[in-house]
Amino acid sequence: MKLGFILREAAKGLRQNVVMVVSVVLVTFVSLTFVGASALLQLQINQMKGYWYDRMEVAVYLCDDSSSSTNCAGKEVTDAQRQNIEKVLKSEQLAPYIKEYAYESKDQAYKNFLDQYKNSSLVDQITPEQLPESYRVALVDPEKYPVINEALSTVDGVDPVVDQRELLEKVFQLVRVASAAAAVVAIVMIVCAVLLTGTTIQLSAMHRRLETTIMRLVGASKATIQLPFIIEGVIASLIGGVLASGTLWLLLKFLVEDKLASENVGVAFISTNEVWLVAPGLLIIGIVLATISSVVTLKRYLKV
Amino acid sequence: MIKFENVSMVYEPKQQNVALDDINIEIDRGEFAFLVGESGSGKSTFLSLVLREKRSTDGAVYVAGQNLNRIPSHRVPKLRRDIGFVFQDFRLLRERTVFDNVAFAMEVIGASRAQIRERVPDALKLVGLEDKARRKPTELSGGEQQRVGIARAIVNRPSILLADEPTGNLDRKNSVEVMNVLNRINQNGTTVLMATHAHELVSEYRHRVIELQRGQVIRDEIDGQYMPMTTVVNQDGSRELLVGDSAVEHDEDSQFTEDQKDEDQ
Repeated sequence: MKLGFILREAAKGLRQNVVMVVSVVLVTFVSLTFVGASALLQLQINQMKGYWYDRMEVAVYLCDDSSSSTNCAGKEVTDAQRQNIEKVLKSEQLAPYIKEYAYESKDQAYKNFLDQYKNSSLVDQITPEQLPESYRVALVDPEKYPVINEALSTVDGVDPVVDQRELLEKVFQLVRVASAAAAVVAIVMIVCAVLLTGTTIQLSAMHRRLETTIMRLVGASKATIQLPFIIEGVIASLIGGVLASGTLWLLLKFLVEDKLASENVGVAFISTNEVWLVAPGLLIIGIVLATISSVVTLKRYLKV
Repeated sequence: MIKFENVSMVYEPKQQNVALDDINIEIDRGEFAFLVGESGSGKSTFLSLVLREKRSTDGAVYVAGQNLNRIPSHRVPKLRRDIGFVFQDFRLLRERTVFDNVAFAMEVIGASRAQIRERVPDALKLVGLEDKARRKPTELSGGEQQRVGIARAIVNRPSILLADEPTGNLDRKNSVEVMNVLNRINQNGTTVLMATHAHELVSEYRHRVIELQRGQVIRDEIDGQYMPMTTVVNQDGSRELLVGDSAVEHDEDSQFTEDQKDEDQ
């Protein structure tokens, strides 16, 4: 009975206040879209990290005739040096950081190169001799690259130690900036949404001052008086949240899945599945913000 | 039923704006009392203290045995369910019928449909509007609208009924109708406290009169009238109790009134 009453009052508020409610829906929609976009870009970074870091290794290149590094002294790496390097890789200090390592000879390097650049004209110009031999080191935590670098870069026979991730970092940086920009816009829009929700609830409370005065004096509980207004704000925000989730889904479906991903097969992109991860968060943010701004507004403008 | 013990109410911390000043009043169960006084004398503050819309700055307000300054705010709604309130301007919901307006007071405290169906007709009958249940408030006269307001105030069967200038917007005929309804409610055992300016009604209905002036009780008479009683000395030396204004209208030859005193000098 009472719940029915509360819901009916909330519906009445939504109807009476339709213009303001629509604006709350729209502002919430836009702000949550930006929140979602920022989150999805972050997920995209993680996705790429996960994908690439698994495949990325630290390459410990060994000296050959053409090396200019001081560790090499212009000579090709010797067997003794090779064993020494392997000893360092196996040592107790480095073992906790290294998942596995493998030796790659010039011939293997050439084979991998051919695989990777099948369709390129480079293939004809490269000979096995030009490619350095190396140890390919996979790390337990790719972020711990400096430890390996420090331990090996001064060892004789090691040309340079190259972390392949450094190349990716530039791409990540770009996505991170985009994500941060979306987050900033999201914050500004959320402030708008909170203020607008507050104003809308305030208007709604003024509209129904007569009802609330009567309710107060006949002894209706605080919940009965305030809940219709809070529900009104929450429903408007929820609609905004649903619209935002839908928009993000459409963006991922048609822009990422159908276009970017199909045109860049080798790159790991997020998909519409990730939207299902983000959407509940958006709805919760919408509900929480609407509740907070309604409660704060009612505290100021609705005597109980 | 309602008891004020050394109650003071100050709106500004500077102590200059005293709304009530050391009030001591006790209104018993089943009493009918008029609260009179000029605008700003403290009547509204008095009523809002009873409703616990405000807390007094000093002293204790007891309603139905509870010290209102002590009860936590979540208990206030329960307190108010035992108090009916009648507004000067009726405060009816225009889009609802008479029945629904009265039912509203029950709905919002979670009464069941069955209870509503049972009690609303009773309340409407008590105020004499049982045949207008399906009308909208705008189709009724002012007096009828106020009676709807009264029905709404009593439908939850409160033991106290507060009325803030219930006849303030009504003509004489409608005011009398409303007064008769309030009297009937009082006779059924409900304590009635009515703030009013309607001196004719007060003098006519002869209930207890509590007069406030600048926040103080300057008069509290069982069976009082709107104007304060004054002692008038007749020319033959006998004394008579008369009501303020009417003293002047009283047979002028036989009286020594304030006016005459001025002329003599």
